[in-house]
Amino acid sequence: MRPFEFVKPDSEASAIELLGKLSPNVRILAGGTDYLVDLKHAADVPKTVMDISRLPELKGIDEVDDGLRIGAGVTHTEIMQNPLIKKYAPAMIHAAHTIGAVQTRNLGTIGGNLVTCVPSMDSGPTLVALDAEVNIVGKDGTRRISLTDLFVGPRKTSLKSNELLTEIIIPKSSLGKPANFYKFGLRKGQALALVNAASSLWVKGGCFKDLRISIGAVAPVVIRCLKAEKYLEGKKIDEKLVQEAGKIAVTEAKPIDDFRASQSYRNDLIAVLVTRTINAAIDLADKD
Amino acid sequence: MDVELIINGEEKTASIPPETTLLKLLREEFYLTGAKTGCDVGDCGACTVLVDGEAVNSCLMLAGQVQGRSVETIEGLANLEDFHPLQKNFEDLGSLQCGFCGPGMILAAKQLLEENPEPTKQEIQDAIAGNLCRCTGYTKIVEAVADAAKEMREEP
Repeated sequence: MRPFEFVKPDSEASAIELLGKLSPNVRILAGGTDYLVDLKHAADVPKTVMDISRLPELKGIDEVDDGLRIGAGVTHTEIMQNPLIKKYAPAMIHAAHTIGAVQTRNLGTIGGNLVTCVPSMDSGPTLVALDAEVNIVGKDGTRRISLTDLFVGPRKTSLKSNELLTEIIIPKSSLGKPANFYKFGLRKGQALALVNAASSLWVKGGCFKDLRISIGAVAPVVIRCLKAEKYLEGKKIDEKLVQEAGKIAVTEAKPIDDFRASQSYRNDLIAVLVTRTINAAIDLADKD
Repeated sequence: MDVELIINGEEKTASIPPETTLLKLLREEFYLTGAKTGCDVGDCGACTVLVDGEAVNSCLMLAGQVQGRSVETIEGLANLEDFHPLQKNFEDLGSLQCGFCGPGMILAAKQLLEENPEPTKQEIQDAIAGNLCRCTGYTKIVEAVADAAKEMREEP
């Protein structure tokens, strides 16, 4: 690795201050499962690498007034073991379990997974399907944006170089919402998703309510399938309609053609995964 | 920069450049060469060590990140009198051939057995999914972890 300076602030406030002072010649290191690999092969390294992996303010999962707060520095392993996640957003446990292997889940953080912003991130679809928001702190204060507004392009987010993503909020209206995540990779362990998908919904009077469908690895960023959602919203639950929604979701994606899978294979997968996640969420829902 | 940490129960210090990984620190400063440099990008698990009891890829951590923390390597498992039950069962069953993946494999299994004394075959496979072995086909490794778990339950 090429030389750089290493700083490890001991609080969120001093991290923000340092960021303001050192930006743009500084990069943030959290779990490091992605960024350290980059650093090893980079021709240009930043002047300073700032480690935030152990900042106490970025840890913890708590119930707050407006929902469930997940610290950006929470690891995938911590998500898998957390009782509040199990109670309110169990699909996240399944999604976390599909990330890397034990060693990478022990290091990697949910905030890091989101800001790295690779299209195949496995934390993305479930959180998007649960209408998650993120808090971003800079020297001028905190702003809250919808998670989908964080994603700009492959490895590109709307974070400024002097800002820090500090927490993820799952709004109260999504807590306990029936949801399902499904990842399809070439192997079970240590594989990138060819396609991943998550759906969440309520069932009201036998009809779809507040349906959300999100897919990853098949567009420049994790996306919501608004047309497929709109097609089903308010309609009576019917297997044929769900299959049609899967086909509509395909028209909203732009999968790539590469050595892992062809574009047409990925398109087929989108329809299957969207259908499966909706059906699985229906199975979880209370039918009144 | 200076780093202080606990390695296999002993306090250690080192003066190293900030871009040093934990793996390099262990191998080149402390000559603990049990953790292997395999892929160096977090795919193969040969560099697995335990940091505060959790299995991690030591190639994916900077030495500065383990300041003040406790690291356990394969060298800390056995003493002169006895092997750890995992090591004993790996040996008894002939679970390793070339042995390159062994230290990482055993430490990943150690975290599993500390959290889950009675793992299913699927849970053992999941725990070592981040450790690649190109010799054995994994069957005898999984069996050795199950046998070690049994032994540790019977003689804690």
